[in-house]
Formats: sequence, C-alpha cells, structure tokens
Amino acid sequence: MLRRFDAWPITIRVALATAVLMVLLGLAASQQVLSTLGRLQDARLREYARLHVEGLAVALGPFALHKDVWEVYDTLDRARTNASGQRILFTVVADDRGSVLAATDPTRAPVDSGIDAFVGDAVPVGEVSAANGSSVVRVTAPLSVQGRDVGQIVTELDVADLVAQRRGAALALLAGNAIATLMLALAGYFVMSRMLKPVELLAGHMGKAGGTPHPIPEAAIPRSNSVLTRLLRNFNDMAGAIDARTEAERRLAERERFVSLGRLSSSLAHEINNPLGGLLNTTDTIRTYADRPNVVRQSVELLDRGLRHLRDVSRAILEENRMDRSGQSLSRSDFEDLRLLFEPETIRRRQRLDWRIDGSDDILGRLPSAPIRQVALNLLLNASSAAPEGGSVSMRIRETEDTLELSVTDDGPGLSDTARTRLLSEAPVAPGGGVGLRLVRDLVTGLDGTIACDRSEGTTEITVRLPRRRAAEPC
Amino acid sequence: MDRRRVLGGLGASVALSAPAFARRAAFRFGLTPVFLDNDANVIERLRTALSDAKGDPIDLIQRRTYQEITASLLDGSVDAAWICGYPFLQHRDRLALLGVPVWRGRPQYQSYLIVRAEDQAKALADLRGGIHAFSDPNSNSGYLVTASDLARMDETPERFFSRAIFTYGHRNVVRAVADGLTRSGSVDGYVWEALASVEPSLTAPTRIVAKSEWLGFPPFAARADRASDPNVRRFGKVLRGLGASPIGREALQLLFLDGIQQGDTTLFNGIAARMAELSGR
Repeated sequence: MLRRFDAWPITIRVALATAVLMVLLGLAASQQVLSTLGRLQDARLREYARLHVEGLAVALGPFALHKDVWEVYDTLDRARTNASGQRILFTVVADDRGSVLAATDPTRAPVDSGIDAFVGDAVPVGEVSAANGSSVVRVTAPLSVQGRDVGQIVTELDVADLVAQRRGAALALLAGNAIATLMLALAGYFVMSRMLKPVELLAGHMGKAGGTPHPIPEAAIPRSNSVLTRLLRNFNDMAGAIDARTEAERRLAERERFVSLGRLSSSLAHEINNPLGGLLNTTDTIRTYADRPNVVRQSVELLDRGLRHLRDVSRAILEENRMDRSGQSLSRSDFEDLRLLFEPETIRRRQRLDWRIDGSDDILGRLPSAPIRQVALNLLLNASSAAPEGGSVSMRIRETEDTLELSVTDDGPGLSDTARTRLLSEAPVAPGGGVGLRLVRDLVTGLDGTIACDRSEGTTEITVRLPRRRAAEPC
Repeated sequence: MDRRRVLGGLGASVALSAPAFARRAAFRFGLTPVFLDNDANVIERLRTALSDAKGDPIDLIQRRTYQEITASLLDGSVDAAWICGYPFLQHRDRLALLGVPVWRGRPQYQSYLIVRAEDQAKALADLRGGIHAFSDPNSNSGYLVTASDLARMDETPERFFSRAIFTYGHRNVVRAVADGLTRSGSVDGYVWEALASVEPSLTAPTRIVAKSEWLGFPPFAARADRASDPNVRRFGKVLRGLGASPIGREALQLLFLDGIQQGDTTLFNGIAARMAELSGR
C-alpha cells in the first residue's frame, strides 16, 4: 500500500497530506470546541441542579425532620408545577433511614419504599454532567437541618436538550471540517500541481529505476529564473554528463579488446617468428635437393603445416580484432581460437596450461560469442600475469543443469582488494589501472550471470556462471 | 394662627378623609380549609358579599388547621368562624350556632371514602395495610367518620393502615389519592362533589368506595358568651340572609350552597354518636 502511495503523483500526495493534516487539525479543534461546550453545559447544569436541589433542600429539611409525608409531597408537587421548563423529571425524598417520604410521582417511588434504587447512579450536585450521552441524569443531595442529616433528595434531570445540542455541534463541526478539508485538499491539489509542474517534468525525465535520465526539451523549461528552473537546467547538464560518461565507458570497453591483443602481441610475434625460421630452412632444403623428389615432398609437407599454422594464428587475431561480432553464437571453435591466441603467452612464461572444454555446440550456441570470448580472454590474461613464471593456469567450461560455468584458475598470490572490487562490485573504479576486470563484471551482469572468487590451497579460482537460455530465445 | 388650631384642623381633615367604616374595627371571620381553600376568587366574593350585606368591613382569617381556627374563635381572636361540626360539638358548651349551610336542599352532607379509580377495594375493610390520607384530626368527614368506622371494627387508624397522613385540606386528600401518594382517603363529600364540578380532572382518577350517613353540615359559630353582641347577631343575620342579595346569591352559587339556615344542634347528633363511639373504644 505504502509502495503504491509512493508511486502516486506528488501533487495528489501533497493534497492528501494536506487533507490528512486538516483532518487532524479539525479533530483537535473540534475536540476543543466540544470540550468547551461540554464544560459550559455542565457548569450551567450544575448551577441549575444546585439552585433546584438546594432550594428544595432548604424547604424540605424541616418536613423531612418531622417525616411529614404530605408537606414533603406538597412542596415537591408545587415545585414541579411551578418549575420553568421541563428539566426536572422526577424528585424523590427519603428520611435519614433511606425510606421514601414522598416523590413527585408516588407510583414510581411509593411512600415507605427504599430510595436505594434511585441513589445507585446518582451523583452529587458538583459532579453532575451531561457528557455521558444519557438523556437523564440523577443528582443527589443530603437534607440537613441545623447541621443534622435528616434525609436525602434525588432528582432526575432531563438533559436531552444538552445532549442533542452537543450532538448537533459535533455533527456541524464534522460537516464543516469535512467541507473545509475537501476544499483545502482541492485547493492544495491545484496550487501544488501548478507549483510542482517543473518537479513533475523533472520526475518524468528522470526515467524509471535503473533507466537513463534524458534531458528536458528547452521549450518545456519555464522562462522564470526560479530555483526550480535552475534545478531543471542543472538536471539537463547532469543528464548530458551521464550520456558522455556512458559513451566514454563504451569506448573504453571497445579499446579493451585491442588492449588484450596488445598484451598478446609479443608472444604472438614469437608464435609467427619461430615457425618462420623452420619454413625458411625448408625452402633452402628444397632448393638444395630439388632433384630429390622424396625430400622435396617431405619439405612441402612441412611448409604446408607451418603455413597452415600461421594462417590459423592470423585468422584468430583477425577474428578477435573484428569490430562487429554481434549476433554470432558461441561455439567450441571460439575456445579453440582463444587457446591459439593465449597458449603462446603461457609458453613464453613457461606456464602450464590446463584447457578443458566440456560442452556441445548445441548448448554453447545459446549464448552470444563476443562477450564470452572477451570475458574468457580477460580472465586468462589476468590469470597468466598473476601466476608466476613456471606456474600453472587452467581454463574450464562446464555445463550444469541450468548454467554454463566458466572457471579460470591460477596459482598466483590471489586478487588484490582493488582487483576484487573491480570484479565483484559496482563500486566506482579507482582512477589508474586497467578496466579489464570491471569490463568482465559489466559483461557478465549484462548476461544476467554471476561471478564468484575462491581462494584455496594457493589457487585462485574465478567462476562465472551464466544462465542457459532456452533454445527458442534469441541470443 | 396658633399651633393648637392648626393641629386641630389637621386632625379633623384626616378624620374626614378616611373611609367611614375605617373608624370601627373590622369584623373578623375565621375560615377553615373546609372547602375550596385554594380559590382566592371565591373567598374574596364571599368577603365582599358579607361586607356589603353587613355594611361593615369584614376580615376573612384563614388558618391551616381546624384546631387553630377553633382556638382563635375560643380566645376571641376571631368574632365568628365557619368550623366543622366535630369541633363545634367538642366545644359545644362554649359555642353558639349562627347558621348552617344548606347543600342540595338539606343542611347535611356526607363523608366519602375514596380510592384511586382502578383500585379494587369495595369497602373500608379492603383498605387494610394501605396508606390513608385524612384531612384533619379535628375534621368530622376527614377523620372522625373513618376513625369511628374503624372503631366499630375494633381497629384504630394507626393499626389498620400502614401509615395515615394528615393533609390539612379536603382538596389535598383528593390530590393525595389521585396522584397515588396514598391508596385511600377520607374526604368531605361536599368538597369532593364541588371539585368534581370545577376541577373534574382532579376527582376523575378517584372513586368513591363508601359514603357515610347524612351528617350536620359544617356550621357557622360564635363564642356563646358573645352571641348576644349586636355585631355578632347582625353577622348571623347577614349570613342567613345572604340569599336575598344578588351578590350574596352569587357567592352562595360559587360555594355550591343553596343558602344558610338557622339550624339547631340536633343536626349534629350523628356526629355526636360517632364521637361517642370513638371515645368509647
């Protein structure tokens, strides 16, 4: 619910917040008004009850003392008929033993019956209140003559009008507050929607979570020189900067491919140069023994093998160097190319290379070629440079039930913290140093894959797990 | 002009400007709450009628209880009074009869025993254990009749009723029963009938359970030793001749009375018999 509320337009949220605040303010104010009204009513009621009960108590005291049933009744009856308004509903007077002397309605409280039934919920004059919502309240007071307690009086007061007045006030306040809240909420909506138009514009161009912000057209930016206008212009500058950075990163990644080849150029030169000596010797042999067909045939075989090797190497270099590889699927030959390019480097450094590719073209073909070649080459170059002279490097491709696992090991000293940050997190790359490992991370993330790095028994193992896509899905 | 002459002249002018009858003391006539004691209009009409007929001012003096008005009569605080037959007989030797009202053609009335209309009681005996309203301990119809009836049953009001209260007014007895304050009441039949005419809403919730025999109507009396006083004699004459003047007839009409006759003490023999029964318990 809260998430949904967060997704609402800010104008509606502000209007709703205004309404909620108004409701709270209205409740607090209404409570104040009702409580003041209640206090005034209660004070009036207490004054009325005090006058009535005290007046009667003075008149009835001597009669109660003498237990003069008729005079008590006559006084009550005359007080009832002379009373202005109809607030006094019923009055009963009892002697000092709680036995009823008389009541305004003798059928309700017969002479000599107990007054207990009426005393139960009666309150003293000073505590009478119409706040409990009941339309009738009972008040009790002692009857005394010259300080001597001679009986008790209980009066029922009709407070229905006060209760109705309180209810009416509550309803009026409720209605008034509801209308005021509604009007303020609407006004708040219109004012806020006007004031926050630039913010809405900004939010609209921010893009959804993870998306790229795009600049606001100049025509849509208000002409005034307000803070919000400056904010919009700053946003446009920022969006431009983000575009520039993205482009720079793209170029950097592109360059990385050449960097990897550059790192291989020395060993690849040896790879080409070494057979060349043998090939030149073979041509000398042909020249010398041109009349010996047997020798010529063997020399031509050697020439053919050497030239084929050179052709494969140059093809692999060209393949790696190709600008546009998008749309091509991964295959076993990609790994053969990689081995062709990478193995001379290990030979140069007298390192042992363990190369195991387990995976059919059918499975591999569901993944794109270019990013995986780049990932594998970067990891291999990293491993080879980490491993010592005469050390060992391994490359292994393995299929599991739902992933393709690519793991590269070396017996070097392990990844530095900086390298680990580049490979395993999104944290900003520190200036200086290559972008090879960060590029690995970006490419793997782009393929929805994960990277793990383990170190055990002097061996560092970096494992990339790529989800296997269904055959029907385009690569 | 000397001072003596001035003062004399002033005195003469004061005497001349005062109403002619103000020079004599007003005749004081006492009333018990025997009838519609709450109706100031009726009382004023009666006072005016009597004053007019007598030609002298008359003060009407009302007291709450029969005892107070009887005592006032006996100690001379009032010159004459309309009292009940019961206190008249109690002080028979010191009182003289000035007249007896005639109601519905006879100088007699009845005592009513009343209950609330829905009460199932059929006789006094059914009212045992209830709360009873008497009018006045010195009232014939409002006490003596019921008390003597109970005496015949070998009972007293205190034992027979759970509680007996005195309301000091026949109208109050009707109110007490009508409002449910008491279960039953002893009331002057004349008052009950008068109320039934002028205030039917008051008598409607009540029902008559029993009526006594006809007894002497509450009489007008004066102290016996002053009965020959010309002022008192003239007042008696005015009373008995009230029906002769229109204003007097109007007053009598308001009181639901036909007139006032001389009467004699034998009218009160019934009351005397009940007094004897009560004292012979």
